[in-house]
Amino acid sequence: MDFIGILQGLWEFSGFSVLDWRNLVMILVSFVFLYLAIAKKFEPLLLVPIAFGILLANLPGSEIMYDSVGLTDFEVQVAEGAHWYDSGVLRLLYIGVKSSIFPCLIFMGVGAMTDFGPLLSNPVSLLLGAAAQLGIYIAFIIAIASGQFTPDEAASISIIGGADGPTAIFLTSKLASHLLAPIAVAAYSYMALIPIIQPPVMKLLTTKKERAVKMTQLRKVSKKEKIIFPVVVLVLTALILPSVIPLLGMFMLGNLFKECGVTERLSDTAQNALTNIVTIMLGTCVGATANGQTFLQTKTLLIVCLGLIAFIFSTAGGVLLGKLLYVLTKGKVNPLIGAAGVSAVPMAARVAQKEGAKTDPTNFLLMHAMGPNVAGVIGSAVAAGFLLMLFEH
Amino acid sequence: MFTANLLAIVNSGLLAGQDISILDAILIAVVGMVVVIAILAVIALFILLVSKIMGAIEKAAEKKAPAASPKPAAAPQAPKGFPLPDTQSQGKLQLENVDEPTAAVIMAIVSNQSGIPLNRLAFKSIKLLEDK
Repeated sequence: MDFIGILQGLWEFSGFSVLDWRNLVMILVSFVFLYLAIAKKFEPLLLVPIAFGILLANLPGSEIMYDSVGLTDFEVQVAEGAHWYDSGVLRLLYIGVKSSIFPCLIFMGVGAMTDFGPLLSNPVSLLLGAAAQLGIYIAFIIAIASGQFTPDEAASISIIGGADGPTAIFLTSKLASHLLAPIAVAAYSYMALIPIIQPPVMKLLTTKKERAVKMTQLRKVSKKEKIIFPVVVLVLTALILPSVIPLLGMFMLGNLFKECGVTERLSDTAQNALTNIVTIMLGTCVGATANGQTFLQTKTLLIVCLGLIAFIFSTAGGVLLGKLLYVLTKGKVNPLIGAAGVSAVPMAARVAQKEGAKTDPTNFLLMHAMGPNVAGVIGSAVAAGFLLMLFEH
Repeated sequence: MFTANLLAIVNSGLLAGQDISILDAILIAVVGMVVVIAILAVIALFILLVSKIMGAIEKAAEKKAPAASPKPAAAPQAPKGFPLPDTQSQGKLQLENVDEPTAAVIMAIVSNQSGIPLNRLAFKSIKLLEDK
């Protein structure tokens, strides 16, 4: 018996023999993410599946993202007699990301959880939600100016400024799917870090007097208005910009389930079971695209920096329009609610509430901030639709 | 040149696979921002329109059949010149589908979280939005 040969074979078949330092780094990154999600509770519902997806894809010898027939990876060499079911399990699920099924289903769930009441009672919120998309376009200009990215890539990176994970995944999977992992990871990481990123910008751009403004009570919104809103807004927006239909259509469908009062079971499923199932698959698949060989590049670092710039400028855009409204309304609008226009529901609204309460503990801005917050979801979907219209192949 | 570039971008509708200059990127950013603001402004106008119509319909309905709305329950008030006790809030409170112990807990939480004594807070109404 060739004992040495057996040991040699054992080594060659083990993961150690094919371990690449880049995979090792990504495994460590997944551990850090798992720590942040479990110990620090940073967006755990998203970060745990993303981190585990990273771990699964980087384990040596892992074929969990193997593409046997070029399902989503069109550069793959297809072997004779290969079948689609020979592909790795996460590659098969990844079709849901690539085809935009998962982001759209998530949007339906988000729609079913959204209350448009604060927005309907204060329509000016919509303008704040629009202004808070500024970061998307600033990041786009910088990405093009850097000379490191194609227009498709720049558009995908810039959407991080929309602070909306499903929108970022939707647009990136259409325009630059090879950058999906860094963009998704950056988008969700910054969403989790909103309580750290936004307050310095909000304080820098506002005075204590502005932050202390107490806003008047919101008007009562009728049930009929809440039912009419999703249907008519979808039709209006789709007529102007048809490319937003997949995202906004599913968002408004979910909202109609919630508001119409006759589809409680569907609303409940969209809000809970469906969203949870899709989140597991979406998060794990997105994480699994972060393979060390493709993820650890200079471009990834640039994407992370551009994402941060986009977030800062989006916050600034909302706050600056809030300041303008403060002047125009003679002090009736608190500029802090403009920062909530970066969508990230409801974290950004909570930050506005917290910063307002720091200046005056009797100031309750949360409901006022929810208006720009949900307007931001519509705004980022429109921005994504615009970029898709320009750059989709 | 600027206008020509702008028109080209808007009219082309498709820049896929094309290289763009920084000037083009700035133009795209400007047009994109205008598109977002314009669409959301249209939606805002629509909301205003619908709220006016709904308001007018409700007013017309109220005029036709003035329903007797239940008067809000008056909260016990301290005699003039005397401060309210710490455990009592100011003003009249209307409860809708909420029992008194739940309302008391909610008021106590608001007082505790805001750090304001209950007798300096005025609650107008507490209502249950959804009963699941």
